[in-house]
Amino acid sequence: MEHTITHEEAEAALVTVDRRRRRVVEEIGLPGWYWWGLALGWIAVGVVSDVGPAWAAAAATLIFGAVHANVVPRVASGRHRTQQLSVKAELAGRRTAVVVVLAVAALGLVTVGAGFALYADGARDPSIIASILVATVILLGGPRLLASPWLRERSG
Amino acid sequence: MSAEGFDELIHQSTRLSIVALLAAADWMDFAFIRDELGLSESALSKQLSTLEAAGYVAIERLLSNHRRRVHVKLTQQGQEAFQAHVRALREIVATAGDATPA
Repeated sequence: MEHTITHEEAEAALVTVDRRRRRVVEEIGLPGWYWWGLALGWIAVGVVSDVGPAWAAAAATLIFGAVHANVVPRVASGRHRTQQLSVKAELAGRRTAVVVVLAVAALGLVTVGAGFALYADGARDPSIIASILVATVILLGGPRLLASPWLRERSG
Repeated sequence: MSAEGFDELIHQSTRLSIVALLAAADWMDFAFIRDELGLSESALSKQLSTLEAAGYVAIERLLSNHRRRVHVKLTQQGQEAFQAHVRALREIVATAGDATPA
């Protein structure tokens, strides 16, 4: 059976297809528990660094790094922000994972820099303060970073 | 106007939305589709049954954390039919553009 449609109908259908696809792209992101875990882990390392011996700080950093390295490959693709769908790999691309890894590395440097600055300024617990500052950035900025139009457009 | 690959079954507006959502995902929860399209469970079930009968979607019922979940995914056949349908729509739009007098 031949079905005929006007080009306006065809255009409207293509708009629908694009809108639905974009809606799925909006679901690209990391689960909420990842950001909370990262922020709390960051603070824990900061606390151990200030109140514990040097070996404990080193151990906490290594453990935190190992746990994070284990978790990241499972979630960093951004395809499973919720348990309601799995975004296609070709839509999610690799950018989300790259952005997450680079952001965490940058935050590590920021934490160390802030810690030294606070120490030089005479702060009593520089690592704790620096880690709380960065943990706040993680919680507030992490989801927003991945929701940025730049990343969305490139995923689309 | 019509074009090769145009799929009347997919073109129905609700089914087109369902298939377009599914085409961007490996699988999707029944509840997500229902909420996105603002459909009742029975209305969505009916459309999914039509698509399933055509071999375009596969429906999987799972038990997760003592909760029943229904995952829906586009089959290979559904994926190909959807891509052909989108190509047909683009062809119709392009042909109309070419035919527009200057």
